[in-house]
Amino acid sequence: MNVLGIESSCDETSVAVIRDGKLTSNLISSQDFHVKYGGVVPELSSRAHLQIIIPLLKDSLVQAGIGLKDVDVVCATAGPGLIGALLVGLTFGKSLAYSLNKPFIPVNHIEGHIFSGFLMDEKPEFPYLALVVSGGHTLLLIVKSDTEIIKLGTTVDDAAGEAFDKVAKMLGLGYPGGPKIQKAASLGDPEKIHFPVANLKNPYDFSFSGLKTAVLRYLQQTYGKDKAVPDGDMPDIAASFQKAVIKALMQNVEKALKEYKVNSVSLVGGVAANRALREALAQVASKYRKKLVIPDFVYCGDNAAMIAYRGSRLFANGNKYSLDYNAFPGLSSKTFAG
Amino acid sequence: MEFPFAAKVNSEEETARLAGEFSELLQGGEIVALNGDLGAGKTSFIKHLLRNFEIDNVSSPTFAIVNEYQGSLKVNHFDFYRINKVEELYDIGFEEYLTREDTLTFIEWADLLPEVLPSKRIEISFVVNDDFSREISFKNIS
Repeated sequence: MNVLGIESSCDETSVAVIRDGKLTSNLISSQDFHVKYGGVVPELSSRAHLQIIIPLLKDSLVQAGIGLKDVDVVCATAGPGLIGALLVGLTFGKSLAYSLNKPFIPVNHIEGHIFSGFLMDEKPEFPYLALVVSGGHTLLLIVKSDTEIIKLGTTVDDAAGEAFDKVAKMLGLGYPGGPKIQKAASLGDPEKIHFPVANLKNPYDFSFSGLKTAVLRYLQQTYGKDKAVPDGDMPDIAASFQKAVIKALMQNVEKALKEYKVNSVSLVGGVAANRALREALAQVASKYRKKLVIPDFVYCGDNAAMIAYRGSRLFANGNKYSLDYNAFPGLSSKTFAG
Repeated sequence: MEFPFAAKVNSEEETARLAGEFSELLQGGEIVALNGDLGAGKTSFIKHLLRNFEIDNVSSPTFAIVNEYQGSLKVNHFDFYRINKVEELYDIGFEEYLTREDTLTFIEWADLLPEVLPSKRIEISFVVNDDFSREISFKNIS
């Protein structure tokens, strides 16, 4: 069976094919394709998705060694994401399914991330604790099965990835913030400055806005307003900030591991690329003797492989969807988390 | 509160009180542009304000560009921080959002794209003082 996955919820366009349970292609627009398919692509443009989606599909099918008529199921991200971007992949997927007369499966982008550990050889074991950390989302969930997900907590303000980006900007480190902070932090002392971790009403929720403000306050008090941070001080500030983010995440993970019986822990989403975070979670997982699954970098960011995988499970479980299924931009509607 | 209006706030509680006071002027349909640096308190202000409209799930729209909420009235919460070009904004249907007459619209980082702002709007600016208090000022633009 050949499952086609399409992802266009935000900046990346991606097309993937899973053949008989095996991922055979996973092409992502941000990886060299801008060059191949014509110059600079604006970051947030549905036109960019439109331009690239057909060539991506063609290349993806070639790489998978199948033709369009061999596709058995078409899956596409329906939300959450930017509405204009979502509509490109979703409408393309629906049209493709209609013209091929094959079933169409809409996929929740966050559920794609949650189950992305299954793209690895070593897979999570149900029930497992999933920590989703990306530019737009920070979620802690218990995944009991393919069909049952319990949301424990989410961010009440900024997402973890957003905190990285904004603090990098304050420090003058540039974009993307995650890798820049990680690089600076690797040379710094994380114990140098104490940045606070928020305490919230729901003990599983996260908050990073206060941390952002604490960094701002520190910079202002230490260097004065609107002054550049001396290069020499950068590593300690970055390391101390990164430590506070990781502490906030790990605190809730530990709470959940004490409270809930799970077999595995999985770290997913773009921020899962952060090395210090991976190491911290590995320590916690080993302390509680849980299997740890962190997908490869290529499956941490936005990708269609996870959409094809999630769609294939929904299909296998007998779910059917009509072609008038609509895109949903927010997390609150039509999602497990709603 | 009569515009122009300015206040100094020293704490989150004072921000909440000011946001509450300002919210009494809003009925839906207004466009509120918020300007100020990172960490100046724009999202926080909106969060406190919207509690008065039975909305308690306000989070940062930086990544999503726009969050939509439904409480006792409808709210669009935009953030221009990540927008590089006006085309990107039109691409997500910005103009359509603004035609919804009963909807209250907030735009964070509005000064990044002044050319798209409707001529009639309320502007709020946030300045962080040296002692970390905030100067929050309101003005009516028409």
